[in-house]
Amino acid sequence: MEAWRLPLSSSIRGKLISAGYTSLSSISSVSSSDLARDANITEDEAFEILKLVNQSSGSSSCNGSGSLINGAKNAWDMLHEEESLPRITTSCSDLDNILGGGISCRDVTEIGGVPGIGKTQIGIQLSVNVQIPREFGGLGGKAIYIDTEGSFMVERALQIAEACVEDMEEYTGYMHKHFKANQVQMKPKDILDNIFYFRVCSYTEQIALVNHLDKFISENKDVKVVIVDSITFHFRQDFDDLVQRTRVLSEMALKFMKLAKKFSLAVVLLNQVTTKYTEGSFQLALALGDSWSHSCTNRVILYWNGDERYAYIDKSPSLPSASASYTVTSRGLRNSSSSSKRVKMM
Amino acid sequence: MKPETLLRRPQTNRKLTTGCKILDGCLRGGIPCDSLTEIVAESGCGKTQLCLQLSLSAQLPISLGGLNGSSLYLHSEFPFPFRRLHQLSRSFHQSNPSIYANHSDNPCDHVFVQNVHSVDHLFDIMPRIDGFIKNSGNRLPLKLIVLDSVAALFRSEFDNTPSDLRKRSSLFFKISGKLKQLANKFGLAVVITNQVTDLVETSDGLSGLRIGNLRYLCSSGRRVVPALGLAWANCVNSRFFISRSDETICKERSENDESGSIYVSRRAQRRFDIVFSPYLPASSCEFMITREGICGVQA
Repeated sequence: MEAWRLPLSSSIRGKLISAGYTSLSSISSVSSSDLARDANITEDEAFEILKLVNQSSGSSSCNGSGSLINGAKNAWDMLHEEESLPRITTSCSDLDNILGGGISCRDVTEIGGVPGIGKTQIGIQLSVNVQIPREFGGLGGKAIYIDTEGSFMVERALQIAEACVEDMEEYTGYMHKHFKANQVQMKPKDILDNIFYFRVCSYTEQIALVNHLDKFISENKDVKVVIVDSITFHFRQDFDDLVQRTRVLSEMALKFMKLAKKFSLAVVLLNQVTTKYTEGSFQLALALGDSWSHSCTNRVILYWNGDERYAYIDKSPSLPSASASYTVTSRGLRNSSSSSKRVKMM
Repeated sequence: MKPETLLRRPQTNRKLTTGCKILDGCLRGGIPCDSLTEIVAESGCGKTQLCLQLSLSAQLPISLGGLNGSSLYLHSEFPFPFRRLHQLSRSFHQSNPSIYANHSDNPCDHVFVQNVHSVDHLFDIMPRIDGFIKNSGNRLPLKLIVLDSVAALFRSEFDNTPSDLRKRSSLFFKISGKLKQLANKFGLAVVITNQVTDLVETSDGLSGLRIGNLRYLCSSGRRVVPALGLAWANCVNSRFFISRSDETICKERSENDESGSIYVSRRAQRRFDIVFSPYLPASSCEFMITREGICGVQA
């Protein structure tokens, strides 16, 4: 199909064609930033064009692979969608690298580790980083933080938010040398206001809240990450019937997956570690049992290696197994400063 | 219960001063409210001293780092150190003349002591605490709960079989869940003490599992681990470790001796470490225990 058939303004169409993009397939195979650069248009316009192209190629009858079933997509479209999905940075570039750029949206990621390894710190860091504006490469979204343990401390979140604003100001000063350094509009207090904080004190409250999230997020469409710290705490007591517990947990996992897909947001579930008796000895495993381990798309395990904190990709449909070290500083999560090889591929 | 009510505006947690400026410095103000703080130490290191001191500090007005409230001291180890509490209370009274205007005002009036002899007994007491707080009348409201110690509650009743250990773990989460609920509902500070056991290296190496900022915990020259294992470690928000090193000699001037001669006495140096905490960086400080209470030592 030809590009001149697209419902665009003539000036934009002219720019596309003069840049050499005459067919739809040539447009759909580039990213929006490349298209914007080549055709001398803005990124938003390029994004709109790509959306149109995807829609047309899906419904075109000359395209033999048009959808036979309503809602079905072909793999090329899905690949394109996945590549254009934003990711939430963890502020630690080594960790971002093994995660493929950061925590992915539309996925449920489970992060587990021993007490004191930094799970809550990662949770707070992500709820701040999701708010980084688009101009700085972030999502410009809001966060939902579901606290089941009482570990969220406002003074710590404020510390991390202040460091984030300082980093953005430094970046502005570095990139735009003619601009004044304090062009950043966000203030640390605004960042705290954009975290919707829920405190849950029992498993019934937890279940009720998860059921309510659909309505809440429909009313607050800019929420881009839901963090649960921790998913486990209220489920490790009082459940004499483990079968019932498994059923309740899998229903909850399904709801989270639906939320992630429906609203294109990231769900991050923090989990605890327990000892499991397998093959005649006690080993460390994430809590909530074997059936829960199937409920999440991605799993990251945090552990100590000597005096360093490490993160390991335990389960992912697309990322290779790798580990990377990180540190927790007063400014939040950062790369570890040791000079030895920080990222290990398995 | 409507899920909408679970949305909160988080406030900065109030802190309860420990009574020692150096310790407070480590803790950025003191023990936080709406949080479970665990103090792990060997017997005789000073955890009970610290808890007694906190029970008295709770009565201080908020401007002086207190919580303007009374404390509930749940003790599972016998006997309760009444005499030491009275001794600390007298020096507390003397160092805070502005608050205790009346000479007959006794700081001990605001410390409520209750013994706990088993886990079931603890679960019986919890709903009564709820009532106790709601029907304060003209008492100072309850602001601090101390549980000294949680390990003693579990010492006798459980065997080492997997099913008993599972039952025990489930009770940890139940206790922790209820205490956190109380802490959140009434803005209380909750301090729980725990004991240590000697480290016996097993083949799976899990007993020596590293939890927190310190590679291993050492007290009186031997490696120790906090009692109750990994499951309990998941139940508390912060863990602090008090250890004692070999005794050091220090000089003291006797007050009663008119000649003013100096004599040497032995005092063990104590060390306070932050094992893990959701808002504090890893740090430590040293202190001594004197007649007046805990007294930090400048490094």
